[in-house]
Amino acid sequence: MEHQFTAFLYHEQVLWIAAFTLGGLTFALGPIAIVYLFMPLKTRQINNKALQFIECGMDPIGDSWIRYGVVFYLYALIFLAFDVDVLFLFPVAVAYNDALFASSLRDFVEIVLFIGILSLAIVYAWIKGVFKWERKTFLRR
Amino acid sequence: MGTQNIPSSVVQFALADKLINIGRANSFWPLTFGIACCAIEMMATGCARFDMSRFGAEVFRPSARQSDVLIVAGTITKKMMPGIKTLYDQMPEPKWVIALGNCAISGGPFAFDGQYSIVLGAHEFLPVDVYIPGCPPRPEALLQGIIELEHLVSDWKRWKNPEAA
Repeated sequence: MEHQFTAFLYHEQVLWIAAFTLGGLTFALGPIAIVYLFMPLKTRQINNKALQFIECGMDPIGDSWIRYGVVFYLYALIFLAFDVDVLFLFPVAVAYNDALFASSLRDFVEIVLFIGILSLAIVYAWIKGVFKWERKTFLRR
Repeated sequence: MGTQNIPSSVVQFALADKLINIGRANSFWPLTFGIACCAIEMMATGCARFDMSRFGAEVFRPSARQSDVLIVAGTITKKMMPGIKTLYDQMPEPKWVIALGNCAISGGPFAFDGQYSIVLGAHEFLPVDVYIPGCPPRPEALLQGIIELEHLVSDWKRWKNPEAA
């Protein structure tokens, strides 16, 4: 008689798997537990700054949770537009002097089309006024 | 000033403590912390010619939380003192302090009437374990200081005392 697919096969292996899992857990968590048992629980203090995050000794100035101008994210996006331009123009610049392309007007038109489409992103940003450095304020109402 | 009794570990096990202390004595991790010109000698000690790693103490840690020896290498200005205190606080137990050079011992050449900017010795605010005199001390003196600290930490001796034999 054939076993059903859903039947609980290999009963005897479960014990082994459990043993290996337990062994693995012991080896993983054991050192942490042993170190916890043997470690000194506190450290001597002079002005109670053991928990200060900064490790250079100086008191940190202000909080790291600060607000900063969102203007920068626009620049990151615009950088992408220029970046892709340059990225795709490098192979063109390398190959363009080749005799295969030099005499062809069609290739030139293709490049102009390509750069034209890519430049639309920049033109769009320009019209939207991204290149003017202004503080974008947001009034919570 | 850092001399209070701290609760010891949950489990006390003398033999393990002995073994662990031998390990600690042979692998000091000093803090990368040079305040003044004695730090140059400390660097020289760490480099190839004097080779601090012969004594296991070459692992200069840039973070106070990873180190166990604070080598106060140089003049302690009153501006720097809070920083040193904080670094000492952040070092985990067990921790030791070496005062390297005359400035860290007593203020050195800055101990005169009317000076207003220098702390006269690391012992003013730190529990110093080993004092190493010199202005600045030779690298050999720092090595000797580290060996003295090894003797403080553990009963294990790097060399047998030839006079006792």
